[in-house]
Amino acid sequence: MNGFVAAFQVELLKARRSRLAWGITAAFLILPLVGGLFMIILKNPDQARAMGLISVKAQLAGGTADWPTFFSMLLQGTAIGGIMLYSFITAWLFGREFSDHTAKEFLAVLTPRWQIIAAKLALMVLWIVLLTLLSFAVALTIGALVAIPGWSQGLAASTFGSLALIMVLLLMLMPLVAFFASAGRGYLPPLGWALLTLVLAQIMAALGWGDWFPWSVPALASGMAGPPAELTGPHSYLVVLLMCFVGLAATFIWWRSADQAQ
Amino acid sequence: MVLAIETTGLSKSFGSVQAVDSVSLRVQRGEIYGFLGLNGAGKTTTIRALLGMIRPETGTVRLLDQPVGPHGRGPWRQVGHMVESPAVYPELTVRENLEVARRWQGVSDRGAIERVIEQLGLRQYADRRSGTLSTGNRHRLGLARALLHGPDLLILDEPGSGLDPAGVVEIRELLGRLAGEQGVTIFMSSHILTEVDRLATRIGIIHRGRLIEELGARQLEALRARKLVVRTRDLAQARAVLTGAGFEVHDGDEVLLLAEARAVEAPDHVATLLVNAGAPPTRLAVEQENLEDYFLRLTGGDA
Repeated sequence: MNGFVAAFQVELLKARRSRLAWGITAAFLILPLVGGLFMIILKNPDQARAMGLISVKAQLAGGTADWPTFFSMLLQGTAIGGIMLYSFITAWLFGREFSDHTAKEFLAVLTPRWQIIAAKLALMVLWIVLLTLLSFAVALTIGALVAIPGWSQGLAASTFGSLALIMVLLLMLMPLVAFFASAGRGYLPPLGWALLTLVLAQIMAALGWGDWFPWSVPALASGMAGPPAELTGPHSYLVVLLMCFVGLAATFIWWRSADQAQ
Repeated sequence: MVLAIETTGLSKSFGSVQAVDSVSLRVQRGEIYGFLGLNGAGKTTTIRALLGMIRPETGTVRLLDQPVGPHGRGPWRQVGHMVESPAVYPELTVRENLEVARRWQGVSDRGAIERVIEQLGLRQYADRRSGTLSTGNRHRLGLARALLHGPDLLILDEPGSGLDPAGVVEIRELLGRLAGEQGVTIFMSSHILTEVDRLATRIGIIHRGRLIEELGARQLEALRARKLVVRTRDLAQARAVLTGAGFEVHDGDEVLLLAEARAVEAPDHVATLLVNAGAPPTRLAVEQENLEDYFLRLTGGDA
């Protein structure tokens, strides 16, 4: 356990010092900021028309300036954008050890490899949870500043619940990203994987098989294609859970067994 | 006596390339073992196998009487290592990189970091981001990391590479002190043969994945050929005199070379012959074959 704590502290230090890490955090906060901008545009249609394309896109994306629309944008944006941004975090945590050639430095140390990998996964979870909470807090602040109509505590609570569900679903898809960053020894394979799953998720959802396709489930749970209860079932969450276990097993087995000859 | 390193029939291939072929090493505790080989001979693969980073197809590895791997198992608290050029976290300072190693190695004494910073001459770079370090200083950081936890066994891949000549001498002296004063076993690979020659107590030579020779430093000393180097103002006359006296004379670069024992062991006799013949030597020296030449002779010049 001490080894895990030590490894976690090491990962925390590396993340704190990384500019890329802060860049990812900033990128994630763009979501509520853009949502807030759309609300401002929708609240002021005359000014919006004067702004040309932005107003048209805002009209297409939402329609009305109220909390349900704003929250819906946040959930959908998290479900879609989250796959890429969470994957960036995961790809950085694992892939940087290969791009900086540092992986070989922790293969023969007192702290067992599995604890170092577990520490990376723990930091990934903590980072994503904090980022999602921060994004929700920023959304609430912006919504309040813009004075969007239609607020209710019940709506905020249910949105928070949906956001948490989307986050957990996305988190469960990250171990496979970690595996591709490890086995692919860098950033490109995991990001390629994330992009592929993002595209396939849209296709599978459009074909009506999204409830069985793990990478479509977060978006369906966000309500972007209709009421989540009608589009997903217990089997949808089970396939996501299955991918989580597959990803975890693949990552730990790879680090335990693969030759580290580079 | 407990062995520091013991491998039996270690083999590893990558695709069709046999990187290491049935290597059996036995390194006693307290030894400085020089592991020599050309680039691509299998040194780094052997070192990675010793450290459990790759899984050998056949054979076993034991370090300090404990089995290594599979699954990364090994006596790592007692082993310091540096594999190829040391990698650092570029955004972290030198001190922070050592802090990372301290935590991974479970060293509770924070003073260990300052000690190795001092030992490796990194004081003025301690708070500098590692990404901005020169190759030599990055190498020193790698060595500092290997020494941080006070290991009983050091496994170093090319410890002198990247260092300037003064740095090479400094590190050689440091390793010598560690072995001499603290009894640390050192296993160091190198393709710079003179680097190993001056420090190692025993030498293993690996070529194309096979350990082709293993010998003590004194043994190596005895095996290395000696020759008498003669320079005179009139080489032709000197050659005629020495040939006339029954010596086998070889031409060198503006010198004559005599490899026979009766010449090497009695240079005074050769000098007398030349002086009496009116071709006095301007230089007369017994030179020993250097390790590079010995190595090439051993491998049949087959690099």
